[in-house]
Amino acid sequence: MEKKTGLIFFPAFDWAISPTHPEREERLLYTRDQIFEEGVMDLPQIREYAPRLASLHDIARVHFCVPRVQSQVTEAHLIAAGSALQLGDAVVSGDIKNGFAMVRPPGHHAMRTVHGNRGFCNINNEAVLVDYLRRRHGLKRIAIIDSDVHHGDGTQDIFYHDPDVLFISFHQDGRTIFPGTGFSHELGGPQAYGTTLNVPMPPGIGDETLEYIVDNLIVPVIKDFKPDFIINSAGQDNHYSDPLGSMRFTARGYADFTRKLNPDMAVLEGGYAIETALPYLNLAIILALARLDYSYVLEPDYWPGRFTENAERASKVHRTVDYLRDVWEKRNSADIDNIFGKGDFYQRKKFIYYDTDYIEEEQIEKVKKCSNCIGYLLIESRGERGYRAPVRILAVTVPFAACEACQQEAYDAYHQAKKKEQYDYVYMQDKSLDTCLNYERDKNHEWSTEG
Amino acid sequence: MLFIGIDVGGTFTDAVLLDRGCVRASAKVQTKEDLLSSLLEALDKAMKGVSGDLVERVVLSTTMITNLIVEKKYDPVGLLLIPGPGLSHQHYQFNTGTYIIPGAMDYRGREIIPLRREQMENAIMDLADDGYKNVAVVGKFSSRNNRHEKEVAARLRWNYPDCQVEMGHQVAGQLNFPRRVVSTMLTCATREKYEYFVDSVITALSQRGIDAPVFILKADGGTLPLPCSTRVPIETIFSGPAASTLGVQALTPPGETSVVVDIGGTTTDLALILSGSPLLASKGAAIDDYLTHVRALAVKSVPVGGDSIVERVGKEIIIYSERLGPPYCQGGPMPTPTDALRVLGLTRLGDKDRAREAMDSLGAPLGMSPGEAANKVCNLVIDTISAEIQLMFTQWEQEPAYRVWEVLEKRKERPSTVVGVGGGAAGFISQIAATLGAYPVIPPYAPVANAIGAAVALPTLEVTLRVDTEQGYYSIEEEGFQEALDDANFTEQQALDLASKWLGKRADKYGLNQRIEDVEIIRREVFNMVRNWVTTGKIYDIHVQTPRGILGHIGAGGEIK
Ligand SMILES: [Zn+2]
Ligand SMILES: [Zn+2]
Repeated sequence: MEKKTGLIFFPAFDWAISPTHPEREERLLYTRDQIFEEGVMDLPQIREYAPRLASLHDIARVHFCVPRVQSQVTEAHLIAAGSALQLGDAVVSGDIKNGFAMVRPPGHHAMRTVHGNRGFCNINNEAVLVDYLRRRHGLKRIAIIDSDVHHGDGTQDIFYHDPDVLFISFHQDGRTIFPGTGFSHELGGPQAYGTTLNVPMPPGIGDETLEYIVDNLIVPVIKDFKPDFIINSAGQDNHYSDPLGSMRFTARGYADFTRKLNPDMAVLEGGYAIETALPYLNLAIILALARLDYSYVLEPDYWPGRFTENAERASKVHRTVDYLRDVWEKRNSADIDNIFGKGDFYQRKKFIYYDTDYIEEEQIEKVKKCSNCIGYLLIESRGERGYRAPVRILAVTVPFAACEACQQEAYDAYHQAKKKEQYDYVYMQDKSLDTCLNYERDKNHEWSTEG
Repeated sequence: MLFIGIDVGGTFTDAVLLDRGCVRASAKVQTKEDLLSSLLEALDKAMKGVSGDLVERVVLSTTMITNLIVEKKYDPVGLLLIPGPGLSHQHYQFNTGTYIIPGAMDYRGREIIPLRREQMENAIMDLADDGYKNVAVVGKFSSRNNRHEKEVAARLRWNYPDCQVEMGHQVAGQLNFPRRVVSTMLTCATREKYEYFVDSVITALSQRGIDAPVFILKADGGTLPLPCSTRVPIETIFSGPAASTLGVQALTPPGETSVVVDIGGTTTDLALILSGSPLLASKGAAIDDYLTHVRALAVKSVPVGGDSIVERVGKEIIIYSERLGPPYCQGGPMPTPTDALRVLGLTRLGDKDRAREAMDSLGAPLGMSPGEAANKVCNLVIDTISAEIQLMFTQWEQEPAYRVWEVLEKRKERPSTVVGVGGGAAGFISQIAATLGAYPVIPPYAPVANAIGAAVALPTLEVTLRVDTEQGYYSIEEEGFQEALDDANFTEQQALDLASKWLGKRADKYGLNQRIEDVEIIRREVFNMVRNWVTTGKIYDIHVQTPRGILGHIGAGGEIK
């Protein structure tokens, strides 16, 4: 018998950012009504799983939470991330063919350092899943395709220097929507050039152009990349009725995309048309994952031919797709020194605004341009919230297959920083040993977690 | 204070007479084709020398509806469905004439596609041409708005006044359209035969001068007054396993976590009692490959019993789920687990030499003595049942949770006792308990535990209220009731009061003049509806019930004779 599609539905009916916030209890209420009324959980092609909690270490493996993990996550975050892990386990073990974590709260705006909530996100559920799959199940190459109307800047940030994680995002042009990033020139760091690909879309783009992006960029690039695992960051705010986005995707368009992408897992992200889009989109995506007929799923106010795309805008997207395809194909012969400059390190400066918590972060990120491994990362960050004293941290990441020299240098940097007055907290995230350290200056104390 | 419990099973009809927490008499008779005479025979044995007018209350449980459905002994039902968009209509295969009418409601009860009158007329005509006299009319989201169902049913009744019509929103108000279709179809199918059963019971009781209130046990372990139960015959499916679970609950100390193991001829029924209360299944009962909305205790049937046939296949000994007659030691054709028990001295049923012969035939080719072969067979049974028990606990732990507190509250529990009832229990229970690290218990009166369970069962009533202040209506799931509610400022407290009021109303309707003082709130959820950053209304989802429980524990208050 063909394997089933695993579902975890965790609407968090008792969790909200605030009573009137888009991330409130009501968000998945009508989706619940629709999928329960359809009897989806009873379908022989579907298996429903119970959510579980991710461990604090699962979070620390990915994020530098300031001051520590417990202060950035609520139980709801651990359950949302844990649900992704639960399904990830079931897919890898072969119990199910694919899975859909329909969970709240979302995560794709959460970056590697977390000073607070931004874009409704604290914890990046997909990133937690990626590093868990690599650590726990020994997977090597993973592709994340982000279909949210907002650029998945958190996911991009976390894997920007990691050539083993392919990140492709199509979203509304950052000049017209939060978070203002995701342009086609953001292509990954010197150690991972071309494994980040962004397709910004002008407002009004619909299913037809989505199909072009899928057929001409996503599918062929994935075929080249040969991932062990494909994750869809399944935001649903590209829908024509979404109040935050200005796109014109339909439930049918999303389902066609899902069928062609054929992801191992989908993880729900944004989507705030809680009545007019989400019930139909989630149903269509589930059916597409389970290889069932989704042609009967129709939004009540949709009729075929309702939207016609503006040819000029569509051709703009076509040009971006063609450009990125070219970058992808020539990525191995690109002149890296010319693009990123010479020297042992590549450095970038970032200003990050936490829109929900009104925090401003200034960050300097350095990656070692190592030729034996993908290089360790040094992050110096300063977070400022209102009139409070700024919090300054130094954080070090050692990648999964770090070479000995990088490992040594990284630990030296960590220990040196511990001696420096200027950092309130110092972090070490050693993925090669699965050990995380967290030093707090005021208490002169170091905590550690291990997997 | 005399209470009577009667369990009408497929093979036996059991009756017990309880007198203030003691079993005063019990009876076990064969169930015959003529229901009335079996009932009378069991009653007479249990009531020996007791006058009928002393009886306070009678509760029945029965597998009759279950058997009707499994054996497909019911009249065909035609389906008029209004599914609208969503799942492909190819999914709606219920092995009977199905006629689809265009039209649709959404999750808030708003009409998104009007009923297409002409197609409705055609569907009704086709159905009548195909000869259906029993019809189920079911729409998607009909429990949010029943207008389409009512319109179709009215038209049908107008055209064909002789049709027996059931509407989905009145049978099953919970979400899940396919299960609503099945529940409505089976209600329609079994109503007539169930009415005959109710008549037989009432006749039997009145012939013996019993005019006490009569109740019927439901699958969830609660009871309903018998006369009212004709509205919901399928609520009685699986009341048999519910009865034996309640029986064990009554026969063991309160508060314990136990697993009930009812080993019969070909199947073993398992149920869980967690900290003293029987576990309810998270989804409706499944019967004969149909998924229903019937709320039921979490019971599981394992296809292994005392009469299951055992065979050697190559170097393996295998137990099959079939039965080919009685055990070999009782003159049957094949070795069975009962023969193994006989060889090991764990039962006195049948002939010892024939049992040895059966085990020898299994063991000899594998170089095993009859004793070794018997051990092997017993272990197979014990391992199968123990594994299923473990699985039940894991499944319970892994039930989906939709709220943070539910995930955090998840606990791990293991049984402290394994309670055996049913004919085959004695030989296996202590070893199953040992495998699970629990104590074995075979309570007194284990053979009539189900009748005792029926006798101690109490009425339960529930109300699920959904208020949508923006749409301006509320609905009562259990009643299929929908009414306008014109109060934008309706509060949570008002919603709770409304739910309690309906609980009282339902109690009156079912003639349960118990006072609804203890209202248990199972769920109270408030959803703020926000559109464009402004609160536009609230959805309240409130679920209340009367406390669940049993009359008392047998032997707790007095001595058992
Ligand atoms: Zn978004
Ligand atoms: Zn290196």
